[in-house]
Amino acid sequence: MTISSAPDEALVLAAIEQVWGSMLFASAEPWPTDRAADFGSGVQAQIELRGDWNGRLVLTCDSDVATQIAGAMLGLGPDEELPELDIHDAVGEVLNVVGGSVKGALVGTWALGLPGVSETSEAPGRDESFVVSWGDAPVYVQILPDAA
Amino acid sequence: MRALIVDDSRAMRRIVGRILEGVGFEVLEAGDGQEALGVLEGLDGPPELACVDWNMPVMDGFTFITEVRKRSEWRSITLMMVTTESEMDQIVRALAAGAHEYLIKPFTGEAMLEKLDLLGLLPTSTGV
Amino acid sequence: MTISPQAFTFVRELVRAESAIVLETGKEYLVESRLVPLARAAGHPDVDAYVADLSKRRTPAAMKQVVEALTTNETSWFRDSDPFTALRQNVFPALAKTRSNRTLRIWAGACSSGQEPYSIIMTALDTPELAGWKIELVATDLSEEMLTRSRKGEYSQLEVNRGLPATTLVRHFERSGLNWRINQSIRDRVEFRSLNLTRPFPPMGRFDIVFLRNVLIYFDLPTKRDVLKRVRQVMAPDGHLFLGAAEMTMGVDDAWERVPAGRSSVYRIREAITVRGSTCVH
Repeated sequence: MTISSAPDEALVLAAIEQVWGSMLFASAEPWPTDRAADFGSGVQAQIELRGDWNGRLVLTCDSDVATQIAGAMLGLGPDEELPELDIHDAVGEVLNVVGGSVKGALVGTWALGLPGVSETSEAPGRDESFVVSWGDAPVYVQILPDAA
Repeated sequence: MRALIVDDSRAMRRIVGRILEGVGFEVLEAGDGQEALGVLEGLDGPPELACVDWNMPVMDGFTFITEVRKRSEWRSITLMMVTTESEMDQIVRALAAGAHEYLIKPFTGEAMLEKLDLLGLLPTSTGV
Repeated sequence: MTISPQAFTFVRELVRAESAIVLETGKEYLVESRLVPLARAAGHPDVDAYVADLSKRRTPAAMKQVVEALTTNETSWFRDSDPFTALRQNVFPALAKTRSNRTLRIWAGACSSGQEPYSIIMTALDTPELAGWKIELVATDLSEEMLTRSRKGEYSQLEVNRGLPATTLVRHFERSGLNWRINQSIRDRVEFRSLNLTRPFPPMGRFDIVFLRNVLIYFDLPTKRDVLKRVRQVMAPDGHLFLGAAEMTMGVDDAWERVPAGRSSVYRIREAITVRGSTCVH
């Protein structure tokens, strides 16, 4: 395990794999860069990280994926429905745990914000994100430093 | 036995609640430390256990356990932090402030039950 | 929601038939938590629905998965907790009175990923009677991969959540990226070696305590008998053997006697007990 002083793709991916595996009973794989990652409209969660590096982690996924993530986290059957508020809450908590794992792995003193979740109609560009799999669907991950 | 779950995530409260109900706890919930203090004030007696998240709006979990430890009538409550805060310094701070155990998110249901076993709050001991 | 009595009974019978491990009443939550991932993966809303489906179809592959999920190598720290309490409160203090060289030799015979030998060392460090004692711990496993993992002493967040008290984590571990690593002072106290229990043991000297938990269950009766006999030969006459909760020497090797130790029990070599018994009387 390499030890980092700022969040990078390898660390965030490792944290996501751990969270997917333990909280969602699913595996997360890096999505091939040459594979299309289709997206309709969906949900975007973000959380701030403050320390030697300042910025946010952002997770963006399709609405169906968000529903499935919430369902997996809560152990719901395929026919059970969740209000949008609960879906947002679950996706926010997933990112919160990813953010906390990343923060704990970094050298130095860091602070984590509270997760915020909103609707989005656009996926981030592939050049400013990396993509991990949720089953057969893409989840976009961004490590965004504050604008200088 | 009663347990108070203090977490700003409804999903997390539901997950922890289900694990605790599975071993016989009656579950109470609060979305932040301030609300949790209110819940404790309104009870006829303290719950056996409180599972407390760290990062929450209004009042965080660290402040909450510090407040609980100031009140002699709540001394019997077993406090377990259940949080994604996972630096050594944070764990040491929470233990020093009066937390009895510390479970780091992500966790599995089994890990939580083993913590309850360590705290003597399980009806039976763990292990196959 | 917890598992229904019918589902629990089905799983218990299945596991007992396939592995000889008995899931006592009260282990419902364990069955539930181990089977939830399988139920989800198979598209069932809960464990009851999954078990109901399983009991109808009886697919051999799925039945095998269930048995494995419930008998798989446990990776908890201070696994089952009672044996470690017995170690600290009964076994260590008793041996501390009888070893004038202030040295204890311990063998952990199926150390897997290292949680057990490290738990033994941490328990010894928490035993006041052993302050300043030399503890020699030999930990063995068949798998080179497990030995490499054990020597490294690095565990994931999920692994350190398992049965490890927070005060112990803080005292004996340090962060290593996303993982945690047990301190070098603990790692240095354990010697990890490759060993196949079914073959003649290499020269290892004599041990005061042997941990051989949840490994005999995988052997047939003649092999169990042979292993227990050879364990006797590497143990001090007044030594203590720890087996898994579901394991017994009775009917396998009657040279052992089961002796209560706190809420747990240990096995002693029979002659030793007789000799000790007579010295105690005088």
